[in-house]
Amino acid sequence: MGHDNSHDDVSSHVKTYLKIGVTLIVFTVITVAISFIDFGGNNNMIVGMAVATFKASLVCLIFMHLNHERPLIYKVLVFTVVLAIVLFTLFISAHGDPLKDEGFEAPAVPVKTATAHH
Amino acid sequence: MEIPYTVTARPDTGLWNAKIGVWLFLASEVMLFGGLFSSYIFLRLGADYHWPVHVLNVPWGFINTLVLIGSSVTVVMAWASLKMRKWGAYKVYMAITIACALAFLWIKKNEYTDKVHHIAVKTKDGTIIEGHFPDHGKHWINFDNVTSIKLSTRESDPEYFLESCTTPSPKFTTPAGKTVSLDDAGLASIREEAGKEPSIDLKAATPLTFKVNNSPFPPFNTIRSYNDSMLSFKDGTVINGKLTDYKMTLQVTRVDVRDVADRSKSQAWTLMGAGWKEAFEHHEHQKLEHAKEHNPEADPYKNPDFVRHALTMEVHTAKPDPSHHAPEGVGELLQSFKDTLFSHAEHNGPVITLDPKKDIAFWSNWLPKWNTYFAIYFTLTGLHGLHVLAGAIVLTWFLVVDTKRFKNDPEHLANRVETGGLFWHFVDLVWIFLFPLLYLL
Repeated sequence: MGHDNSHDDVSSHVKTYLKIGVTLIVFTVITVAISFIDFGGNNNMIVGMAVATFKASLVCLIFMHLNHERPLIYKVLVFTVVLAIVLFTLFISAHGDPLKDEGFEAPAVPVKTATAHH
Repeated sequence: MEIPYTVTARPDTGLWNAKIGVWLFLASEVMLFGGLFSSYIFLRLGADYHWPVHVLNVPWGFINTLVLIGSSVTVVMAWASLKMRKWGAYKVYMAITIACALAFLWIKKNEYTDKVHHIAVKTKDGTIIEGHFPDHGKHWINFDNVTSIKLSTRESDPEYFLESCTTPSPKFTTPAGKTVSLDDAGLASIREEAGKEPSIDLKAATPLTFKVNNSPFPPFNTIRSYNDSMLSFKDGTVINGKLTDYKMTLQVTRVDVRDVADRSKSQAWTLMGAGWKEAFEHHEHQKLEHAKEHNPEADPYKNPDFVRHALTMEVHTAKPDPSHHAPEGVGELLQSFKDTLFSHAEHNGPVITLDPKKDIAFWSNWLPKWNTYFAIYFTLTGLHGLHVLAGAIVLTWFLVVDTKRFKNDPEHLANRVETGGLFWHFVDLVWIFLFPLLYLL
């Protein structure tokens, strides 16, 4: 067999699958409920994404069997995860862009006045 | 040719082939959706408008999340049943999975339809009034004194022009001086005269009147653009004349005055009546009291979450109801659950009439034209929906067509279902992020 799940193994996993399903539903309810509570600033986004990442991890580890896979799969996924993190980091860093700072769009006028005084 | 390593592991990879194949495919899928999620981040950070939060139908989005989670459980149970050689249980679990996929798509279709029918109007002072057209989206632009027409000769039939002209059997003069009517023979002679030109200039023998349906709903939308003296149809035909009458009737569901310099003078109150202004001031006051109770020191108007709640108002009654107390927090969610699933509160708002020239700066239905939020919403959920459809087709194949394999090579069928299942879990995983990003945060 290519996979190391013997039939007995699988039957012992069935209960786990159901438990994970219930956990995912509970955390979906939590996600919806806490989105109606204001944590201030970006905290709602951080909390929401943390819960989503936790849920996604459960799906990956249990449903997609990444808790017991062959080494080659992990080698492929290391690249995926690293590249995805780089991608998101690049885009989230736009948060620090001065584009929305006050006066960013119209700096010309005060600069001109300053030079006129000198 | 027999495909090797469908059941036994290939010695160098340690895996049966489809397993490594599907994981490589999923790795590329992560980057595909990653690119679109990055676009979401970029559009949201760069948005020059209030990014919509909780504007979509949260209850239906929530139900769809449950549907996908349920199907993720059943697809893994289907696989486990095959591993245990329980054919009957496999069939039941797989059928439930496919039913969930179809339910998801059906709900998504309804949500898309609602967005097409949801009209958002930005008035000249920055007020946003949302609602829907009471008369199935039909509202008419009246044009008269039309004598000069640039008729498109490219389309097979200038149907929008013909169906909106209200003058009976009009006659036209072509540049060559021929007199024609727009029946089949007349059109043929016009096309012959135009030759390869995309359009031909016609003069009407008597001034014509037009009543044009300005529906925003594809495929009923007929107009590309118009102004006081010109109207251009989608097929390229242009008429010149005089805009005589155009009014938009809107049944209001929501008012947003966040971008209005002086809220008390918002165009919304002129259009809806002073009673609604009072109702809004009462609503804002309630929210302010509530915020002050929680944190007396802070300036609530510096908190975008407060501003969103205080300066936008849901409208669910035909007449303003000053005693109405909008629910807060989780109560808001439960109320919206009740409204969505058990009543039709959205059909009760007041009906207003807008003059597009005088009142409206911009309007659209909830499609990418309205803002970049809906652009990325439709891109992400559309691509995700296609994945759901593709997954449903593959899983249906396993259930309906691939049945003999259970007798001949059950382990191979189990591996196939595991491969399809891995894809299905990935589709669920994408939705786990899409739901909060688009509906909740």
